[in-house]
Amino acid sequence: MAEVEETLKRIQSQKGVQGIIIINAEGIPIKSTLDNSSTVQYAGLLHQLVMKTRSTVRDLDPQNDLTFLRVRSKKNEIMIAPDKDYFLIVIQNPSD
Amino acid sequence: MTQKTARSKKPSSKVAPSSRATNVSTSGFLRVSHSRTHSRSINASMSRRSFSLAGDGRVLEKAPMQPARATVKVFDENGTDVTPQPLYRPDPAAVPPRQSKILMAQDVSGATFSDFFSSAFHTTYASFGGPFTRSLFESSIVSKSSQSTMESLNEEIEEPSSKREGIISLSDVQVRREEVKEPTTEDVLNKKVDIHLTETETLCLLDIPATSVSVESEEAEIVKQRNAAYTELCKNRMGNDKYVERAMQTFNGAPKAKEVQTKSITKVDAAITATNWDIYDTLSGTGVEGVVREPPETEESNLLDIMSNHSQESSRNLERSMSFLSHTPSSSSSRTEMEVFLVPVEDAPAPEVILYSEKFQQDLLVMEKVVLQNIFQPKLAAYRQLPILKDPDSTQKPKDTGKTEKQIQKTEDIPSSPALEPLWSFTCELTVGRNVSSMTWNKMNPDLLAVGYGHFDFEDQKSGLVCCWSLKNLKWPDRIFHCESAVTALDFSGHNGCLLAVGMHNGSIATYNVQSKEKTPITDSSEYPHKHTGPVWQVKWVSQERAHSEEEKGEALVSVSADGRICKWVLKKDLDCVDLMKLKRTKSERTRRQLGERERRSELVIWREVPGLCFDFHPEDSNIYLTGTEEGFIHKCSCSYNEQYLETYKEHKGPVYQITWSPFSPDVFLSCSSDWTIQLWRQDLLEPVLVFTSPCMAVFDVAWSPKWATVFGVVTEKRLEIWDLGASILDPTIVQDARPGVKLTSLQFASESDCILLGDSDGQVGVYQLNLNLGEGTQVDVLEDIIRSTLASQL
Repeated sequence: MAEVEETLKRIQSQKGVQGIIIINAEGIPIKSTLDNSSTVQYAGLLHQLVMKTRSTVRDLDPQNDLTFLRVRSKKNEIMIAPDKDYFLIVIQNPSD
Repeated sequence: MTQKTARSKKPSSKVAPSSRATNVSTSGFLRVSHSRTHSRSINASMSRRSFSLAGDGRVLEKAPMQPARATVKVFDENGTDVTPQPLYRPDPAAVPPRQSKILMAQDVSGATFSDFFSSAFHTTYASFGGPFTRSLFESSIVSKSSQSTMESLNEEIEEPSSKREGIISLSDVQVRREEVKEPTTEDVLNKKVDIHLTETETLCLLDIPATSVSVESEEAEIVKQRNAAYTELCKNRMGNDKYVERAMQTFNGAPKAKEVQTKSITKVDAAITATNWDIYDTLSGTGVEGVVREPPETEESNLLDIMSNHSQESSRNLERSMSFLSHTPSSSSSRTEMEVFLVPVEDAPAPEVILYSEKFQQDLLVMEKVVLQNIFQPKLAAYRQLPILKDPDSTQKPKDTGKTEKQIQKTEDIPSSPALEPLWSFTCELTVGRNVSSMTWNKMNPDLLAVGYGHFDFEDQKSGLVCCWSLKNLKWPDRIFHCESAVTALDFSGHNGCLLAVGMHNGSIATYNVQSKEKTPITDSSEYPHKHTGPVWQVKWVSQERAHSEEEKGEALVSVSADGRICKWVLKKDLDCVDLMKLKRTKSERTRRQLGERERRSELVIWREVPGLCFDFHPEDSNIYLTGTEEGFIHKCSCSYNEQYLETYKEHKGPVYQITWSPFSPDVFLSCSSDWTIQLWRQDLLEPVLVFTSPCMAVFDVAWSPKWATVFGVVTEKRLEIWDLGASILDPTIVQDARPGVKLTSLQFASESDCILLGDSDGQVGVYQLNLNLGEGTQVDVLEDIIRSTLASQL
C-alpha cells in the first residue's frame, strides 16, 4: 500500500509531469492531481478513446489486447495504461 | 329448342328420372342453359329450393324414401348398363342412410349419388348443412365456363360427391374400426397372419376438368355448336322479351367507427455490431473479459446482472458475450451510447481495491519508466549509441540544436580529443551518504546493474544496502535489499541470471533472488560455522568446467576474505564451503635474514594467514586464478592444489587491491595497489612488463575496457584515469577529477556501450560516455606490440 503511494509521489515529482488521473472502468475518476473539471473532461474523453483503441486492436487479432497507449501532441504527451478495472493516465510535458 | 338440341346432342344416356322432381329438373335445366351471369341466381334459387327441400327433408328424415333408394341406372345407347359403380358401398350393418329431399334435386340430374349424399348428409348435416351445399354448388359452378348443360351439371354435381367421398370413406372407416375388435389372445397373436398389400382405391379429392377442349376430340363439335348458340343468344338478348332486366337493391349496413386507445408503445432501437473480437470471445467462451457492457439501466436487468454475477465468471461472460444491448421497454432513462466493455454491474471494484492491487502497482512502475524515458531520452540514446531524437515541438529549440550540432561535430571530427561526457547518475535518497563499494552488471540482462553500498573502514559501520538499478528507471532502483552489515562484494551469477551473491563486511555471504520481490536472501552464510571471519572482499561465480569429485558442472561461488581463505561455496542441502586456498604468509628473503632470532619467535605468529583482497580466475582456464594479498604479493594458484602456489609475483609494495585478466590477451593481467602503481604483467614473467605510476595516491580499482584491448580505467581517491596504451604508455589519456568532497571508490565498464560507471563515496554512480575514437578493432595487436616492444627494450 505504501509502495503505491510512494510510486505515485515519485511519478508526480518527475520533471514535466502535469497530472495523474486514475479512473475506474466506468469512467469515474478515483484519484486525480488535477482540478475537478479537467479531470472529468480527461476521464470522459479518454475513456472513449481507449474503448475504441481496444476494439481496434482486438478486431485485428482477437487474441491480442491493448496494454499501453501514448498520445503525443504538440504540447504534451498523454500516457494511458488501461486495465479491466481501471485506467491510469499521466500527462507529461517532457520539454519543460 | 336449345333444350332439345342440348338433349339430342348429348351422349345418349338415358336417365331414369324419379317421378317427383321432374318439373323441377326441367326448369332447372332451362335455367341452367341461361347465360352464365345468371347462373348464380339460378343456382341460388336452386339451392334455396334445395333448402326448402332440406327443410322438408328434416321432417321426412325418418321415413326413408323407397324410390329414392332404388339405384339409378344409366343405360347406354345400346342398352348397356353403364351405371357407374358406387365408390362407396355402405356396410349392411351400418345405419341405413336417410334420405333427404336435397337428394331429390340431385337425383334428377342423374348421378347415382343418392346413397352417398344421404349418408353424407346424415353424418354431416348438423355441421355443414346449408352453407356447405351452397358452397358446393357455387364452387362447382363458378369454376365453370359456358358449359351449362345437364351434362356439365352432372359433372359439377359429381364433384361434390367426389368431395364427399373422402368424408364418407372416413366416416365409413370410423365405423368399421369400431366394429372390428377381436379379443387379442395369445393364439391370435401367434397365429400367422397373412398380410396382403393392395393398392387402395384412388380417391379423387378434387377434379377440376378443363374448360377448353381439344379441337380434335369428339366433343369438339358439340362444344363449338354450343358456343355458337351462346353467341347467338347473346345477340338475341337485346330487345328480346324473354329477357328482362332486373335490379336489386340491398340494404347497406350502417357503418360504425370504433376507436381503441392503447398505451403508447415505446420503441427502442437496438443494434448489434458483431466485431471480430466479439465473435472470437463468444466462440472461445473463456473468461476473456472486456467484451460486453450492459449498462445498469432498468431494475430488471440489474437484478439479472446481480444474479448472474454471483455465478461463475465463465457463465457470466457467456451471458454477456453478446454485443447486443437488450433494453426493456420501460421508459427509464437509458444511455444510448453503445458500451462495449464488460463491467460487473453489481459494483465497479471499490477504489481502494483498485488502488492497492498488484496490477496497479505494476502499471505504476511501467508508467514511471515511460515518464522517465521521456525525460531522459537524449541520455539514454547516447548510452545506447542511438541518434538522439529531436523533439519537433519542443520550445527549447535553440538549445537542442546546439547540442546536436556539437555532437555531430564530434562524430564527424575524427581527431577530436577523447573525452568523458557525463550522462546521468544513479542516485536516490536512499543511497545518499553511502559509500559505493562494488558494482556489477547482470550477465543475462545487460540493462541491470547491482550496486553495493558499504563502508570499507571498520569504524563508521552502517547497515549495508544493495540496489538493483535498471536503465529504464534512472531515479529509483528496481530492487532494494537491506543487509545487516556493509556490503563489500557483489556478483551476479552467469548461469542463473537472477542470483546475486553479496559479500559483507562481517564475513557472511548471502545470495538473493532478484526476480522475486522478497527482501530476504535465499541463502545466508551467517549461521555457517565455517564462514569467513573477516570482511569478504570479493565474491565471484565461477563456472566449473571440470567436474570435481561430487560436484556437477555448474557454478560455484568463490570468495576471498580478510581471514586469508579462499573458499568455494557449494549449495547442496546446506551451504557448504571448501577451502581452495589458505593464504599463508610468505616472507621475503630479506626480512628473514633480518629478523634472525626474532623470526623463530615470530613463527608462532597468531595470524598465520594473510588477508586476501582480490582474485580473478583465468578467462579461459577456470582452474587457474590469481589472487592478491595484503602483503603485496600476487599468487597464481590452481584449484587442484590448495597448499601451494604455482607462482608468486612480488613487486607491489602495498596491498594489492585489484587484479584483472585482460579479456583479449590471454596472458596479460593488470594489478593495482596502494603503492601508487598499476602494473601490467604477463603470466610467464615474474617481473611486470609495464608499470604505471601516474597517480600519486592509492589506486583502488582498475578495470579493462571490454571493447578495446589497450584501454583500461583506473580509480584513485580523487581521480579517474583512462589509459590508452596505444596512445601513450606514460600518461593517461583522460583524467577526470572527482567532485569536491567526494571520494571515488569503484569503476565498472559497460559491456554494451561506451560508457563507464563511477561509484563514489556519496552514494552516486555516475554514468559517463567515453569517446575515444579508437576505431572498430579491439586493438589486441596493438597491445601485444607494445608488450613486445617494451620487453625488447628492456633487454
